[in-house]
Amino acid sequence: MHRLKLFHRVILRPLLAEPSRGLLTLVAVSLGVAVVIAIDLAGFAAAGSFRSSMESLAGKAVFEITASSGIPEETLGRLATLPLPLRFEPRIEEYVTDEASGVTTSLIGIDLVAHAQRNVVVGEQTGLEILDNPRAAWVGAGLGKRPGEDLRITIQDRSEVLQVAGVFTEQDDGAQTGPNRVMVVDFPVAQALTGRAGLVDRIEVGIPEGLDEAETRAAIEAVLPPGVELRPFGTRTDANRRMLGAFRWNLRILSGIALVVGAFLIYNTISVSVVRRRGEIGVLRALGVTRGGAQLLFLAEAAAFGAAGGLAGAGLGTLMAQGAVGMLAATVNALYVTSTPGTVALTGWHLMASLLLGMGVSLVAAFAPAREAGSIAPVEAMARGRREYDVRVHAGRNALWAALLLAMGAAFCGLPPVDGRPLFGYLATLLLILGTAMLLPLLIVLLNRLTQRRVHSLLGVEALLASRSLAGSLRRSAVLVGALSTAVAMMVSVGLMVGSFRETVLVWMDNQIQADIYLRAAAPSSPDNYPPIDTAVGDAIAALPEVHAVDRFRAVSLMVNNRPATLGFADSQMMRTLGRTSFLPGQDREAILRKLPVGPYVIVSEPFSQKHDARPGDTLRLPLPDGPFDVTVLGVFNDYSSERGTVFGDARVFGPHFPREEVTSLSVYLKAGVPLEAGRAAVEQSTANRRVLLFTNRSLREEAIRIFDQTFAITWALEAVAVFVAVMGMAGALVALVIDRRGELSLLRFLGASKGQIRGLIYFEAGLLGLISNTVGLALGFALALILIYVINRQSFGWTFQFHWPGMLLLGALSLIYAATLASAWFPARVATRLNPIEVIHEE
Amino acid sequence: MSSMAILRMDRVSKHYRSNGVDVPALRHFSRDFEPGEFVALVGRSGCGKTTLLNLAGAMDFPSSGEVWIGDQMTSALDDAGLTRLRRTRIGFIFQFFQLLPTLSVAENVELPLLLAGAGDARTKALDRLEWVEMADFAHRMPHQLSGGQMQRVAIARALVHSPRLLLADEPIGNLDTTTGNLVLNLLRRAASERGATVLMATHSPESTSIVDTVIRLRDGVVEEVNHPACTV
Ligand SMILES: Nc1ncnc2c1ncn2[C@@H]1O[C@H](COP(=O)(O)OP(=O)(O)O)[C@@H](O)[C@H]1O
Ligand SMILES: [Mg+2]
Repeated sequence: MHRLKLFHRVILRPLLAEPSRGLLTLVAVSLGVAVVIAIDLAGFAAAGSFRSSMESLAGKAVFEITASSGIPEETLGRLATLPLPLRFEPRIEEYVTDEASGVTTSLIGIDLVAHAQRNVVVGEQTGLEILDNPRAAWVGAGLGKRPGEDLRITIQDRSEVLQVAGVFTEQDDGAQTGPNRVMVVDFPVAQALTGRAGLVDRIEVGIPEGLDEAETRAAIEAVLPPGVELRPFGTRTDANRRMLGAFRWNLRILSGIALVVGAFLIYNTISVSVVRRRGEIGVLRALGVTRGGAQLLFLAEAAAFGAAGGLAGAGLGTLMAQGAVGMLAATVNALYVTSTPGTVALTGWHLMASLLLGMGVSLVAAFAPAREAGSIAPVEAMARGRREYDVRVHAGRNALWAALLLAMGAAFCGLPPVDGRPLFGYLATLLLILGTAMLLPLLIVLLNRLTQRRVHSLLGVEALLASRSLAGSLRRSAVLVGALSTAVAMMVSVGLMVGSFRETVLVWMDNQIQADIYLRAAAPSSPDNYPPIDTAVGDAIAALPEVHAVDRFRAVSLMVNNRPATLGFADSQMMRTLGRTSFLPGQDREAILRKLPVGPYVIVSEPFSQKHDARPGDTLRLPLPDGPFDVTVLGVFNDYSSERGTVFGDARVFGPHFPREEVTSLSVYLKAGVPLEAGRAAVEQSTANRRVLLFTNRSLREEAIRIFDQTFAITWALEAVAVFVAVMGMAGALVALVIDRRGELSLLRFLGASKGQIRGLIYFEAGLLGLISNTVGLALGFALALILIYVINRQSFGWTFQFHWPGMLLLGALSLIYAATLASAWFPARVATRLNPIEVIHEE
Repeated sequence: MSSMAILRMDRVSKHYRSNGVDVPALRHFSRDFEPGEFVALVGRSGCGKTTLLNLAGAMDFPSSGEVWIGDQMTSALDDAGLTRLRRTRIGFIFQFFQLLPTLSVAENVELPLLLAGAGDARTKALDRLEWVEMADFAHRMPHQLSGGQMQRVAIARALVHSPRLLLADEPIGNLDTTTGNLVLNLLRRAASERGATVLMATHSPESTSIVDTVIRLRDGVVEEVNHPACTV
């Protein structure tokens, strides 16, 4: 009971007396928590959505049968002869665009006569006559269509009109899949629409209880033709999830930065609390409060901040997630798999996590200051302790620790990834940040010593007072600089990484994009989904008088070593003569490309090489439609178009393994002297009846860079929040500084300082803190960028890129941060000038 | 009307509002203070000494009446004007010395000049430190000094811009008798040698023996005025 009273007297009351300080800390913590929660929620919604309503429609399947490029329909007949009570649900799947709304969704063909979920889709009463309409489609309620309406879709390279026969509302049980926007058509209709006559994309297998899974599996596999495989249901989803794992992890780590910055600020707040009430604590100790009791008091303060900040963060995080989910889904779509954003839902689990996160971070941050409180001796009640206290920071000892941490961090950079994740890279980042923070006191002392004499003759007495008081309250200023410089460093490092990446991609595109015109089907595409273009299109274009050559490229999504990858093939000799694909250093491009068409050879993209540890000379087993195919890797080429990893071969080698000839993109080289506009017009005309997207060399580059920038938008948003938290914290800390030094500030008024000079002093302090933070942040950011680029990125994505300084961007960002730091001094300066000197000075 | 007066207080009253209650801290105080005059304000705690010093130092405005510092009436000035007044005419000394802990002794002393943007700060600071016999400590930090030494530094600081008015609030309240006497002597000399008007609030009876005038306050009203030096 008396503990509570103490908490009220020593902690609560003083806090309530200065609401602005407490509030700022609270906002900082809750923002930190909010960002982490938001990223997790949004990441889950964005990633969860490719699970899509497609799966749930099937009910509970145990196995699925798939093939790289369609299962021959006869397989179904063979399966039906199996003497087992199995349920086989064949389906066709295709991504399409609803032209009215522009929404990307999936078109699923199922057997509407026999499918187990028939009732869900077409309704119970409806008879078979509805299947007479070859354009009938049943759509999820999420599309907002009404029965009888026309449904115009883009499918592959065509536009088609269906008719809404019914709307089904059934949502699946997972809350994360978002509104149901699936389009369902009868199986033969889907085959016709997708041009997959005689083929099935996937067969879901339901087995009744009591049947032995292993035996059933063997029985099924016995009747499957080569190239068709049986796997547990959901394998692809799991693989996709795993693939997205690294991406989501990196985002999580980034979002954690805001929390780290928040931790610095909690540390600051609790330190201020302790320092401020040193005398009071001394008295309490003299009156019998134990060491642990004093500690507990301040830990409780931190816990209270953490709990309140955590709860507020959960709410704020949900809001932020709503904004972020669209951005994340776009990234997932551009780099990994087709996805449509799901819904963001704050679960009890997330609420709990927010609370624990807030409290955990706060308690850890408060540990040192609370211990300090516990160590206050009863006699200090009599001493006027603050002055000496601040001097007590052991700048030298801290520097030793810093050296140790930094050395450890450097060592960690050389360690390999753990389970595909750059854990040691992350650790190195953390160690670097902590090490730098520990180096700060020494840095500030040195800086102050350096400017000992000169500073006021150059910049005025305000500068002298500001620099002295920063050095005087070393611990506090070091923590502030720590918080701000961490935020700045993260910004700089991510800026450097993204900037380098972008520059590398630009250079790569210059090489890669050599053709004059590019075409692909207008239907939704992504690294796992390549809608085909009719082969006649390529032939028609090749016959145009303006055209020199057409490179026909076919991409197929397949699984290599249980990971999703892309197999691409085309005329490699055209690539050799017209293209400029580059290989990793030391590999002979000419020789590799010459050898490619003569045997079972491939080249692999850099991310593929990293993920599968595939080097020149290694053998890969590719699951082709007609069975496994062993190929030898000849080289590793630079590729920044997808993180999934690409295997490339010659069309002459791979084409025959596929049931039908198909093309997914065309690169058109115009004859020398043909103006781009003329060529483009000719190509456009020859494809007038097709839904294809046509890019000129330039527009393709622009599109690629647009996608790139959109991909990193979320990263920038995270950075901005971290910086915002730091600047807020700066304002809060400066207010504390003002309140703490109100005696000194009042004294200055007695000694002839004008209000302007007091204001100037506060601005100078903010300016100095900002300057040191920006400088330290820039240096730390550079080091972190090296880790990000050469350790974390390489280990988790497998890309190499050239280091590049995005100079203007960084300069702009740093100036902005600096301006924000100065602006954060506005409120504290106001507080400082409004102090009543005579009241303050006689308080003491 | 003596335009010679360094400080002139004319029917000055000061009321504070504290929890809705009107507290009269000083009532109808009138007096002219002459150059070189050393005045002690005595009376028990709460009688209005600090209030009077704050009014005299242009740190606060009277509720009624006029405070003239030289030819300037304080209530007619804005903040900038008051600041200018403090920078040129007034020096303050406090019970708890109030040296800035992060500045060296010399820097503390030159601070008023730096704030005022005046030249020659270091020379003048060293000169005043010499005067209070603390020149050897110019480069020490405040926490390396004893209480008496700190107060001497504070006096040097209060005199660094050669103010005509020196206001000292309980300057020896925190010092032992011997050190206190040293400080008192310095104030005495500031009045006699430098011609400053010194107003000192004090508790200690023995300190009144070396002043020119003793003003005894009681509940904000002058109870008695003595001239101990003249009676000798
Ligand atoms: N800021 C203030 N608000 C309210 N009352 C005040 C204030 N300052 C002083 N007083 C009151 O005015 C009276 C005179 O105070 P003060 O001049 O400080 O006395 P002294 O310095 O002689 O001890 C006291 O009753 C005190 O409580
Ligand atoms: Mg007093």
